[in-house]
Amino acid sequence: MTYYLQLLLNGMVAGSVYAMFAVGLTMVYGVFRFINFAHGELIAWGAYLVLLFYLEPCSLPLYAAVVPALLVTVLIGLAQDRFVYKPLRHSSHITLLIASIGLSYLLRNAIRLIWGSDLMTYGLGLTRGISFAGLSITWIQIAMVGAALVFLGFLYILLNFTILGKSLRAVSDNMDLADIMGISMKRIGLTVWLLASVFAGTGGILLALDTNLEPMMGLTNLIKAFAAVLLGGAGNVWGALLGGLFIGIAENVGVAFFSPGYKDFISFAVIILMLLFRPRGIFGIAGGVR
Amino acid sequence: MAVATAASAGDAVVGAVTPLTGKLAVYGEGFQKAMNLALDEVNAEGGINGMPMKIVFEDNNSTSKGSVSAIQKLITIDKLPVIFGPAASSNFLAVCPIAQQNKTILIGAESAAADITKCGSYVFRVFPSDLLQGIGVAELAKSLGYKEVVLTYINNDWGVGLADVFKENFKKEGGKILDEFAHEEGKTDYRSEILRIKRINPKAIVNLTYIKEGATLLRQAYEANMSTQWLMGSASKSPKLVELAGGAAEGVIGTYPTFSQETPEYKHYKDAWDKKYPGGKTPIFGEYNYDMVKLTAKALKAAKSMSADDIREALIAESQGFVGVTGDKSFDANGDCGATYGRWTVKDGKIVDYK
Repeated sequence: MTYYLQLLLNGMVAGSVYAMFAVGLTMVYGVFRFINFAHGELIAWGAYLVLLFYLEPCSLPLYAAVVPALLVTVLIGLAQDRFVYKPLRHSSHITLLIASIGLSYLLRNAIRLIWGSDLMTYGLGLTRGISFAGLSITWIQIAMVGAALVFLGFLYILLNFTILGKSLRAVSDNMDLADIMGISMKRIGLTVWLLASVFAGTGGILLALDTNLEPMMGLTNLIKAFAAVLLGGAGNVWGALLGGLFIGIAENVGVAFFSPGYKDFISFAVIILMLLFRPRGIFGIAGGVR
Repeated sequence: MAVATAASAGDAVVGAVTPLTGKLAVYGEGFQKAMNLALDEVNAEGGINGMPMKIVFEDNNSTSKGSVSAIQKLITIDKLPVIFGPAASSNFLAVCPIAQQNKTILIGAESAAADITKCGSYVFRVFPSDLLQGIGVAELAKSLGYKEVVLTYINNDWGVGLADVFKENFKKEGGKILDEFAHEEGKTDYRSEILRIKRINPKAIVNLTYIKEGATLLRQAYEANMSTQWLMGSASKSPKLVELAGGAAEGVIGTYPTFSQETPEYKHYKDAWDKKYPGGKTPIFGEYNYDMVKLTAKALKAAKSMSADDIREALIAESQGFVGVTGDKSFDANGDCGATYGRWTVKDGKIVDYK
């Protein structure tokens, strides 16, 4: 029994981070109507930038390195939009999709160029996990769930109780109508990229704290986020959140039934099944940030 | 006696594809020197039944492409019956089929890949196959008194092959595998794998993997409050393992192929090296290159003719019980030889010999 509870716990930890990635990805889709394949690279850049500010010559303490790292991640997110997606805003979805794939290659290989392909760590000391009732969890994992709760709670308030959040939802419902109503598209665009970058960057940093850094970390997690987005219905923020949690739990509990080596197959299976049978997500709602 | 056509009559000539330029050049020079050292000794002792032995070196620019053109030249233009293959398993594997098709003997001194075993009847190597590590680790587990272990291995040709050899040998010795599963290459989260091990709570875990994966597994097992003995192979024996896993690597025990530096053969090699190349350190794998040339010379002397088929027969016969600097080089049916294993462990953050 403890075994299954521990699997569930691990799944919730993984799922809460996937949820953070998926929410950003789905918000960009909701407003701009394309899946940003370079979203994964914001995850990796967030993590690597902490390394940059943490190591020589900056040598900031780890918690302080997070601030400039997230700032630069946001700048990268905004630059993605300003220099690549904005000039292409009125092109077809395929063009945007291809551009985002290209951009992801560019950003990933920039990481390889600067930091190399080798596995890296923040080099923090090793700690035993905390044990309770036969289950074990590390402080970092608690922080992962905590951060996800704080960020997603913030998002809930933003979307439901502020004018900005309501405008954001209006835009993703119908961009043209929202524009006519005087909602500033520029402001909404900025907000979406800011949120997506911060969520991705923070998740990336937490993942790197928990495990380690490698240039492919963005791509691997993008697949999970993508599966979560499809599960929740593209553009559906709370759907993506639940989707992320579901994928995390399914992956980890699945280990009880088949070899852990094939864990990653769950997210791919979800992608294929959802695209085949429920392309609008399990909640079956069409589009929009809800 | 028939003589290789490209050589002047009365010479025993063999070829060598060696990285003299490119990224492996720094090693290639050492290989060449070690081969020449052995060659000098062979010729000082009367060569091949009175004929001087010669090695035609062809550079491969450290690439597979370069290796292929080099071996094609040695086979088609120089028409040599024996060729010493290039360093790096990928380069060696690139030339294997060419040698096999042309019925030319190919011998390797630095190639560890398990696939080389399947290269064919004309391909030999004096360097131990990675697969032998499976046997080495089985012996390690047995000698440390672990009768029941959990086995995990990296999910690729190398890992699966190694695990099969381990299982076969461990079970033969009466060992029991409590659970076994593959882990994927390059992942950063192996917690589910660790949980699965933890549920069984074995005394020892055999983990046949690389450095990155090994370090992550060790680290996350430590975080999950697991304390079991890890047994590993040589592919994870690296200071990088300790750097990545930190204190979690402490106490790991593993095996690695080695040879004794206490034997008279080694002493002879070392003295001869210092005499011929004063002031230089013996190069990495130099001993294997030296053994390769010595063994080949022995086979050439015994061969009925200089045809590849006759030399091949002699090579297998003469290798039985041949003890070189790097140990016993008796070829098996696949042209592989055995190995002796050393043991490593991590103590106070350093990789040291386990005693």
